[in-house]
Amino acid sequence: MTTATLSRWNRFRESFLWYSFRRDKVAIVSFLVLILMVLAAVFAPLFAPTDPYDLAQIDIMNSELPPVGMQGADSAFPLGTDAQGRDMLSTILYGTRVSLLIGFGAVVLQAALGILFGLLAGYLGGRVDSILMRIADVQLSFSTLMVAIIVGAVFKASFGNLMFGEIAIYMLIFIIGIAEWPQIARTVRASVLAEKKKEYVDAAKVMGFRTNRIMFRHILPNTLSPIFVIATVQIANAIISEAALSFLGLGMPETQPSLGSLIKSGFDYIQSGSWWITLIPGLVLVVLVLVINLLGDWLRDVMNPRLYKG
Amino acid sequence: MKSNTPLLEVKDLDVRFAVRGGDLTALRGISFSLDKGERLGLVGESGAGKSVAAFSILNLIARPGYIAGGQILFDGRDLAAMSERELRKIRGNRIAMIFQDPMMTLNPVLSIGTQMVEAIKAHRRISTKAAREIALSKLRKVQIPSPEKRLDQYPHELSGGMRQRVIIAIALLLDPEIIVADEPTTALDVTIQAEIMALLLDLCEQENVALMLITHDLGVVSQVTQRMLVMYSGRIIEQGPTREVINDAQHPYTQGLINALPQMGEPGARLFQIPGSMPSLKNVPSGCPFHPRCSFATDQCRQTMPEYVRSGNVDVACYEVSNLIEQEKNMQEAGS
Amino acid sequence: MLAFLVQRISQALLVMFVISVIAFAIQDGLGDPLQEMVGMSVSQEEREALREELGLNDSIVVQYLRFAGKAIQGDLGNSYFYGKPTLEVISEHLPATLELVIGASLIIMLLSVPIGVYAAIRPQALMAKFFMGVSTVGISIPVFLTAIVLIQIYSIGITVEWFPVDTGWGQWLNGALSTEGGLPSYGRGDDLTHLFGTWYSGFFSESGLLHLILPCVSLASIMLPLFIRLIRAEMMEVLQSDYIRYARAKGLSAVRINFLHALKNTMLPVITVGGVQVGVMVAYTILTETVFQWPGVGLMFLEAITRSDIPLIVAYLMVVGLIFVVTNTLVDLVYGLVNPTVKLTGKKA
Repeated sequence: MTTATLSRWNRFRESFLWYSFRRDKVAIVSFLVLILMVLAAVFAPLFAPTDPYDLAQIDIMNSELPPVGMQGADSAFPLGTDAQGRDMLSTILYGTRVSLLIGFGAVVLQAALGILFGLLAGYLGGRVDSILMRIADVQLSFSTLMVAIIVGAVFKASFGNLMFGEIAIYMLIFIIGIAEWPQIARTVRASVLAEKKKEYVDAAKVMGFRTNRIMFRHILPNTLSPIFVIATVQIANAIISEAALSFLGLGMPETQPSLGSLIKSGFDYIQSGSWWITLIPGLVLVVLVLVINLLGDWLRDVMNPRLYKG
Repeated sequence: MKSNTPLLEVKDLDVRFAVRGGDLTALRGISFSLDKGERLGLVGESGAGKSVAAFSILNLIARPGYIAGGQILFDGRDLAAMSERELRKIRGNRIAMIFQDPMMTLNPVLSIGTQMVEAIKAHRRISTKAAREIALSKLRKVQIPSPEKRLDQYPHELSGGMRQRVIIAIALLLDPEIIVADEPTTALDVTIQAEIMALLLDLCEQENVALMLITHDLGVVSQVTQRMLVMYSGRIIEQGPTREVINDAQHPYTQGLINALPQMGEPGARLFQIPGSMPSLKNVPSGCPFHPRCSFATDQCRQTMPEYVRSGNVDVACYEVSNLIEQEKNMQEAGS
Repeated sequence: MLAFLVQRISQALLVMFVISVIAFAIQDGLGDPLQEMVGMSVSQEEREALREELGLNDSIVVQYLRFAGKAIQGDLGNSYFYGKPTLEVISEHLPATLELVIGASLIIMLLSVPIGVYAAIRPQALMAKFFMGVSTVGISIPVFLTAIVLIQIYSIGITVEWFPVDTGWGQWLNGALSTEGGLPSYGRGDDLTHLFGTWYSGFFSESGLLHLILPCVSLASIMLPLFIRLIRAEMMEVLQSDYIRYARAKGLSAVRINFLHALKNTMLPVITVGGVQVGVMVAYTILTETVFQWPGVGLMFLEAITRSDIPLIVAYLMVVGLIFVVTNTLVDLVYGLVNPTVKLTGKKA
């Protein structure tokens, strides 16, 4: 290791972030669980005992087997099987992968849009600001989930079921991304407005820097810290939004399901007693979202020490 | 004129803050008394503990502060040991408080009338109508124009000076025996400060209400109070009749405070400043807390806290002073 | 007061305009009235003539104005699927959703305030920590999942056999943890009371009420943790203020201080947030109605999407938009009335 990276690592270890992380058991446990789930999902093809979407591997005779521990279970399928005979463990691993992908992707998109529009609105002010914030307000008052549903419905109707299904992942990232940008934009705009008044902006202007440069190189870095906190919670929100959309049929198709669509297809079988088909993916979804929320809570407390919760 | 027993007697009051890593002591065994109708000033810089002293009388110190020891004797009972229920009967009723910033003290979403009537009804069984009458009479006493209108107004509709008059009126609602005023004019415009202070003084004299005035303003103290005490780092370092303390300050710190007043120096001369600053609660020096900034500090000062000695009518806690008194006594004895 | 109203109403109209433009855009882009009116065998010329007659070749602005004009008069076209005016279809389904929302709101209001206040006054108490913990978990559970879990527990029932069945204590524990279920989880039941017009209520019969329980609890479950956390956070901040300490110095009782002085200040931002949550509620009703097959406008909307019933989709968006705008304006108004520091000219004091 070069001396430069060595000192960065040391600085991190001495930093307040690491200190408060070490002391907060909830944060540590959440982080470990999250890492575990992310790794399991990312390497799903390696971990999963079967490939649930390889039609050759499914046998309908295996359908609706309960998880291990109950009567009639088969140890080859530790979490049971669904109505087509697919192994639940495998479908859940692949499903988590899809959910995480969409979650991260959507947040990256909404962050990009949010930062861009927030900077523009805050720095340029005037008409641009009014229009952008007006749109943001309307979107927020409808609630981002509603916006996502509407946009999803429109896309599904225009593209048709089949095509929508094929590009569903990108569609969902896009849908959730444009549904959720207002929140980040608002935060960025508020930071920009606060920073605009500070002296270093005047200094930059006097030195003749172009607007772009001032915005991106000078103001932006100072507005990033609240964005990290929001982004974490938004990942959880995006995963839930995607699950909701899939549950309504506006999301991932059965051939490439996310946790949400797994829950949806499993719901049909709950009355006949096969609760695991819907509830186990449900449990995984809850745990995933919960640990992300807990980490987000911890991050927020760290970044805002004055908001101690007493 | 001193009566037999003081109205309020604070004995060795010890107030601490429970924080991670051990307790911090804000008040270190302070003792003082207040007679009926007497006006006492508590003086000191920020952080000396004067506000803590004021709030601790009615046990209103914010968590994590708590009374760790000592007694607060009022009418024969110890307020420091009283239950919340018992204390509630005294608060606002026999001992009233005036806080510093009237905008923050009045609840913004309740009308003035509501906030006055509730103070009365908390302690007396009378009708709202009768309570409103009392409120109106007190508002007139503090010289607020059109008092009936004010009752239905909200705090933000009044000016800063008027708000503080309302607060004074509220303090007088139940004809208390003591008013504890914590920096009552600091948050007001300079032009109004004198007015409000004069009003408070007048009313206390008229109603024969004892006043405990907490302030950092020596000018106000010299005009309003009869006795005063000077606090430093949680201790009282000098207390006695106001005139004597101000005109003939004994403790080096008090002398420094008085010399620092702009009007004490000559025009054009540099302003006097006591070097250094008051130690924080975490870094209290050993012995006499003032010794790091004192030009007379000796090893004794650094090791143990001095006891009170009497000089004239004033009690002072300072080795330099006690040594001087010793010397004078010796000289007198030698001369006789 | 008048100026305030005028400002809010003009804002509302602006938003409605935007919504109507979007709705029209959807209709224009996706809908094809011709396709529904005539079959495949009609010739191209006849189609053209029909298009001309229906005014489909006019400019976009004219078409929009026609659309808006009809909308204001209450004509939002006919549903492809139902063959009836869309507004009629909506009015038949709306009461069901409204009852769902009313039930859930009641639960939220009755529970969130006491729990939130309690958690704020006694933050260290075990009960308070328990509620806050449950709330944090609750926020992480999407509403449709809560609904499914509730169905499993209270409708289908769960039989627990973890503990040894041949022991007395084992049997007791098994029994305590098992549930029989039995609550209805499908639709509104057959015993609805006709109130007026298209409003058939479930609140006045046993069957109706039973059917309301699970859906309302599910819908409430997602908003309840939010409000509890919000009330607790706000109240804790308020309790640190000077005016609360001053109220104590006046000798007021703890009840009065907490429930008047503190609570009134706490609820103000809660009202604001509540208003915003209306939007979220509407989205969640769609999810809840799907799980319980509850015949409200949410389910109607979803089915319209599946059936590509464009007029109904557009009508739903317009109606929902209107509900949002009206509710937000009302909430603003209520806030202005309740908060004395807001002069009703619309400016803060």
